[in-house]
Amino acid sequence: MMLAKPLRVLGIVGALMAGTADAQVVTVVAADSPIDTLSRREVANIFLGKARQFPDGRPAQPIDLPETSAQRSAYYLAISDKHPADLKAYWSKMIFTGRGQPPPVVDDAEAMKNTLARQPNAIGYIDDAALDARVKVVVVR
Amino acid sequence: MQPQHSPTHRTHRLGRLTEPQVLFPALALLLLGVLWFTTASLVRLELANARAAAVASTRELTETYEAQVVRALREIDRTLKLVAHVGRDADPAQTLSQLAGHGLLLPSLLFTVSVADAQGTLLASTSSDAPSQVAGRDYFEAARGTTRLSIGTPAPGATADDWMLSFSRPLRDTSGDFSGAVTISVPASYFVSGYEAAKLGRDGFAGLLGSDGIFRTGRSGDTVTAGMRTDYAQLVPDNDVEHLPVRLNVNDWDGVERYTAARELYDFPVAVVVGLSAAEQLQPAHARGRTYLLRSTAASILLVALMALLGRLSWQLQQSRQRAAREQIAHAERIEYIAQHDSLTGLPNRSFFSHTLHQMLALARRHQRPLALLFLDLDRFKLINDTLGHDAGDALLKEVARRLTDAVRASDIVVRLAGDEFVVLLPEQCDESSLTVVAQRILSAVGKPYDVLGHQFRVTVSVGISRYPDDAEDEESLIKHADAAMYHAKESGRNTFHMYDPSAPQPSLERLSLESSLRQALERHEFNLHYQEQRDLNSGEVTGVEALLRWQHPQLGLVLPHQFLPLAEESGLILPIGRWAIETACRHGVTLQTTHGRPLTMCVNLSARQFADPHLTQELKNILDASGLEPQRLELGIAESVLLANVEQAMTVLGRIRALGVRVAIDNFGASYSSLSTLNRFRFDTVNIDGSVVRNYEHSPEDQKLTEATIAMGRNLAFTVVAEGVETEDQAKFLRDRACDKAQGYYFGAPAAPPSATDTRTD
Repeated sequence: MMLAKPLRVLGIVGALMAGTADAQVVTVVAADSPIDTLSRREVANIFLGKARQFPDGRPAQPIDLPETSAQRSAYYLAISDKHPADLKAYWSKMIFTGRGQPPPVVDDAEAMKNTLARQPNAIGYIDDAALDARVKVVVVR
Repeated sequence: MQPQHSPTHRTHRLGRLTEPQVLFPALALLLLGVLWFTTASLVRLELANARAAAVASTRELTETYEAQVVRALREIDRTLKLVAHVGRDADPAQTLSQLAGHGLLLPSLLFTVSVADAQGTLLASTSSDAPSQVAGRDYFEAARGTTRLSIGTPAPGATADDWMLSFSRPLRDTSGDFSGAVTISVPASYFVSGYEAAKLGRDGFAGLLGSDGIFRTGRSGDTVTAGMRTDYAQLVPDNDVEHLPVRLNVNDWDGVERYTAARELYDFPVAVVVGLSAAEQLQPAHARGRTYLLRSTAASILLVALMALLGRLSWQLQQSRQRAAREQIAHAERIEYIAQHDSLTGLPNRSFFSHTLHQMLALARRHQRPLALLFLDLDRFKLINDTLGHDAGDALLKEVARRLTDAVRASDIVVRLAGDEFVVLLPEQCDESSLTVVAQRILSAVGKPYDVLGHQFRVTVSVGISRYPDDAEDEESLIKHADAAMYHAKESGRNTFHMYDPSAPQPSLERLSLESSLRQALERHEFNLHYQEQRDLNSGEVTGVEALLRWQHPQLGLVLPHQFLPLAEESGLILPIGRWAIETACRHGVTLQTTHGRPLTMCVNLSARQFADPHLTQELKNILDASGLEPQRLELGIAESVLLANVEQAMTVLGRIRALGVRVAIDNFGASYSSLSTLNRFRFDTVNIDGSVVRNYEHSPEDQKLTEATIAMGRNLAFTVVAEGVETEDQAKFLRDRACDKAQGYYFGAPAAPPSATDTRTD
């Protein structure tokens, strides 16, 4: 059961590829979150600070992995086609013009899972190898 | 004089304006002037608007940018103050970690917060890439001696085109001594990340300039730079919150001309600099200006072409108008020439002569110069006309005209007055000797033999001369006197000339006035007919009447036929007069038949010219038809001399008259030729024995014999014999005894007025 889901996601979002062939980055929320599926655009909007809520109206809090993590680069490239330099320029402009702040950063996948488990509104991304019961995968269409 | 002249002059000049070769170029120039003035104004306006817009835009963008930079710097400064405050006595790493955990630090994505001790050794940092030793770095060293925010010069970042800016504040220990510094490093591009190409353009500029004249960062289009130097004092004006000056200058750091504004920030040692590229901002205006110029050029070409076309059309129209006007004038001149010239000879005519004489007399009067008038009349011209025909007469006149023109000087004027009358006007050649020379030259020229239409003959001319001012002062007397002199020449045997002589008798004067009034007599109804009865000598009954022409002249009174008929014959007036007489006699004849109750013969005499008139028979027929008189009641008397002049022709004409049924009488028989053979040669109905013969029979045995013979021949050849001019009983008895048929004369009754006065008029 638990294994079947991410595989299906992968089948749909084939672009969510990390550095290695068998390492996949998946969108995750707290295990008890009502969020099951989001569109790629909705995910991108939440992570780029353009949307502050989930489509159902609940507040959304994106969480980032460190800038240096491979998962972060892969994830953003998958959801927004932006490279790290693009993201830096994007956030530079958002911060400078006062229109937004980048998501808070956690140190690693473990910290991400803990944060998600604590915050029902949080949304993040981890390597699918790191999945466990605290989080659930959001299907990205 | 000047004020009188100038209006005409002005009118003339204004008039020239309406000429197409002036009007259309002038109009074209005017329109081109308006067009190009408008175009230039529009282009100037466009540029002015674009400049104003660029200035306004620069000012607005500068103020926006200023606000953004101030906010960004304040955030950095506040963060530095926070770290300095919280970390005063705490472990720096712990402080940073705690502050980050609470989200009180700036996003680590861009900002790195570091804490160093007084020696510049790194104590803690939010980034693992932070340098471990900052001693000597300008921001660190600056923090030592200040309580304000210090901003370091741009330093190369992780990548080649990346620059880092570091901001620092000092840390103070409890005693207030320098114990280290907090530093925030951020990519220089952060401060120009608000650059929007939509507003600033590809060649605009936004940047931060330190008060030391070194740009901390700057961006133009997508290119971010740092570290350029410029003259801070020159670029940044003294702070003026109300007014931000915008200047157009070439930015010395990149050589681009920009509308540039700079403002020093409150509380920070930097200024914001914003520029809009002049070339870029004015480009649309320049493009529109070029469009205007292109359109105006096209419009100018069109306008010039149109004006050229209009001008050409108008010019052609004017030309054709002028041509029409010239033709009209030429036509009028031709008409005038025709009106003033004789079509046969090409000489000036009477109309021209009257006009010219008037003018020449006026001139002569003014300049006190003499003037001579020669009046010429060809001798016996009518004879030539009658014998050789009108064509010969016309040819002769032409030749005479040519010879006259050759005989006088070019300045003299030769005029054909009428018929065979010519006039020569001689200005300034008026002494008797030179006039004699001229007159003799004319006589000899005209007198040379002619060869016209196969006839060779000679013609002479009679010339009368009168002079202004010796003989006459005015036109009328000048002509009259020349005419009188001419008649003297005629009377002196023709082919000569006569100077006017006031002492000479002037019979010709009467003749002149008689001829002119004869011309008008018919129109004025001055003619009438009287009738003398013819009686049968046996029965004494009236058998007919002879119509006798009377002229009641308004001044002269009754003028008798022998006084005016020769004149009428010579002038040709006899034709209309004779026609009138036959017409009137025929109408009266009808009336007489009615009043008399019996047939009467109406006798009318024909003149030689009438008899020779080819239209005679046709006219007779028309008159008889119109009047209703039976042809056999009309008897035309023709003088024996007329018949004998051209026997062949006479016989033909007589035949034609008699073919109409009209009776023919040989009139004045015995008056001249007394040739009984005449009676054998012609076919006629009546012989009228001339009164002179009848009255002479007592004294002249020839006349008695002629009368008796005529009566006898009449009986044999069955024509009626009428004795005219019977005045006494003896004459009547003599005739009766000789069995003459009829007689007329005062013995039987004087000529009487027509049946009714109103009938004498022709309609």
